[in-house]
Amino acid sequence: MTALIRTNLPVLVVIAPLFVAFILPPLARRIRLVEALAFLATVFGFGAAGYLAAVVFAQKGSPFIYQLGGWPAPWGIELVAGNLGVFFLLAVTGVSVPVLLFGRGNLTAEVGGAGRVTRFYVLYLLLVGALAGMAVTNDLFNVYVLVEVVTLSCCGLVSARRHPRAAEAAFTYLVLATLGSALVLGGIGLLYLLTGHLNMGFAARELGRAWPDYPHAVLMAVSFTIIGFGVKAALFPLHVWLPDAHATAPSPASAILSGLAVKGYLICLLKFLYGVFGGVLLRELAVHRILTLLGVTGIIAGSILALAQEELKRRLAYSTVAQVGYLVLGFGSLNVTGLVGALFYLASHAVIKAALFLSAGAIQQATGKRKIRELAGVGRKMPVTMAAFTIGSCGLIGLPLFSGFIGKWYLLLGSWEAGMFLPVAAVLAGSVLCAAYLLPVIRAAYFAPAPEEDWQDPGRPQRLALLMLATVVLALGVRPGPFLELARKAAAELLAYY
Amino acid sequence: MSGLLEKLLINYPYLVAALLFTIGTFTVLTHPNLFKKLLGINIMESAIFLLFVASGNIRGGVAPIRAVADGEAVYINPLPSALMLTGIVVSVSVTAFALALIVRLYKAYGTTDMRRIVARRKEVTGDDGFDQN
Repeated sequence: MTALIRTNLPVLVVIAPLFVAFILPPLARRIRLVEALAFLATVFGFGAAGYLAAVVFAQKGSPFIYQLGGWPAPWGIELVAGNLGVFFLLAVTGVSVPVLLFGRGNLTAEVGGAGRVTRFYVLYLLLVGALAGMAVTNDLFNVYVLVEVVTLSCCGLVSARRHPRAAEAAFTYLVLATLGSALVLGGIGLLYLLTGHLNMGFAARELGRAWPDYPHAVLMAVSFTIIGFGVKAALFPLHVWLPDAHATAPSPASAILSGLAVKGYLICLLKFLYGVFGGVLLRELAVHRILTLLGVTGIIAGSILALAQEELKRRLAYSTVAQVGYLVLGFGSLNVTGLVGALFYLASHAVIKAALFLSAGAIQQATGKRKIRELAGVGRKMPVTMAAFTIGSCGLIGLPLFSGFIGKWYLLLGSWEAGMFLPVAAVLAGSVLCAAYLLPVIRAAYFAPAPEEDWQDPGRPQRLALLMLATVVLALGVRPGPFLELARKAAAELLAYY
Repeated sequence: MSGLLEKLLINYPYLVAALLFTIGTFTVLTHPNLFKKLLGINIMESAIFLLFVASGNIRGGVAPIRAVADGEAVYINPLPSALMLTGIVVSVSVTAFALALIVRLYKAYGTTDMRRIVARRKEVTGDDGFDQN
């Protein structure tokens, strides 16, 4: 039995959450059981990710390849738990556990009765399963299917509240996300036309031979994938759906949407750019310059838009737009250092944004206030929540000893190495702007006079979830060791043929 | 020039796909009516399905069933068509979900016009922002 589980882990980590998601609805009346099962599913995912990481580490970085149905590569579908896959798997499953814990016994207030809470968990597990799939998949069409599962479950989570604005935000999101998936599917179709393969490795090899003959078709495929995933990952100017969607969703949903769902698309984009098109082609077509430019504008514009927001959750949502800019900037650096920075920042931003959104949600729930200037004195009334928020903020700004610093540092070095100075300036300016939009919140919370109100920290599971996330932000900042090493190996692998 | 035109005419399914995609995208982005937006999405997705299915087709080819075809026959590629079955299923689910959202929006705002929804937002929801529930 254990051997059976161990040899099938790469597929189990994807289908276990999906399976649990489908058995939850009939249990809707027994909400404790639903919560326990959902929690077990995410914990299993994290354990499996840890085990796979240990296997890959023991094999000195060579991947754990799983063939679905036993069909070998060009014909069958492959799941590859390599360095990159395991890295993202750890981030997904690691963040999904505390976020789920935060929802425990707390969701009814946000989404309504027990049936709606169960529906929330179903969508949540579908989302986690599909994101895990994005981490391990090595098949172009599989990517499309997973992208659609993520999109639909995200839209469901956004519309989880009964408020009409939630339905509105979900509809806008759905329309634009479907536009994005149609573009991605078009890109996959062109790649299949050009190479005759759906397996990423085989498609890449074939594309290396075929692309000088069909430069226009390849250029079209590249632009389809970048714009398609760009819409879904809220890459600036394509971010218009994100603030409404992430600000209206229930807090655990905002945390997972901002922290992980956006990152799933970026990991897919990374796999397409480096795993299929390859560094040589990107440089020949000057795609890396476009990516860098998109990243720079994203950082600056996203941060300035965040500064203009008065509501805490909307400010955090716009900040996600800026952080996506950082990651795309790293993708465009075309060197190992820049990619290490992008990967590490991707994971640490997932943790940080989850902590920030969850504490913002807890504050909103306790105080009923959304505007930042109304949050005076929150820090003294809700010490645990605000401590998590402060640690998250320091991480996002990129202060040393917090995880965001390491990511930003490598991004800075990578841009410098690539000889591009605009991104160096943008990374630094982004940090300053980030301080400008987060520090006023902290100042208001701790140093402004508190009103005579009875605001309290949330319950025990919520506090535990916040503490877990805050600890990870600090731990990754002080001792990034093995995690950074994994990112380095993954980056080196992506650039191996370059 | 005539060479290019000839190429385009021979590959007319791709031309139609590009045209449909443009029409669909234009409708999605510019039409204020939610139903029309949804129709635009469907047209856009059909364009991609056409691109895939056309890529597997060979003129004069037969379905790849060995018992039916004789030894000389050219088989068409069945894989793109099979993939598009999945694509159609996804498209149906997206449509169903979008329709459900439209119903919710209609119940709240009494209209399916995006411009009127924006105009009535304050009146229906009480403020510009978001409520607790």
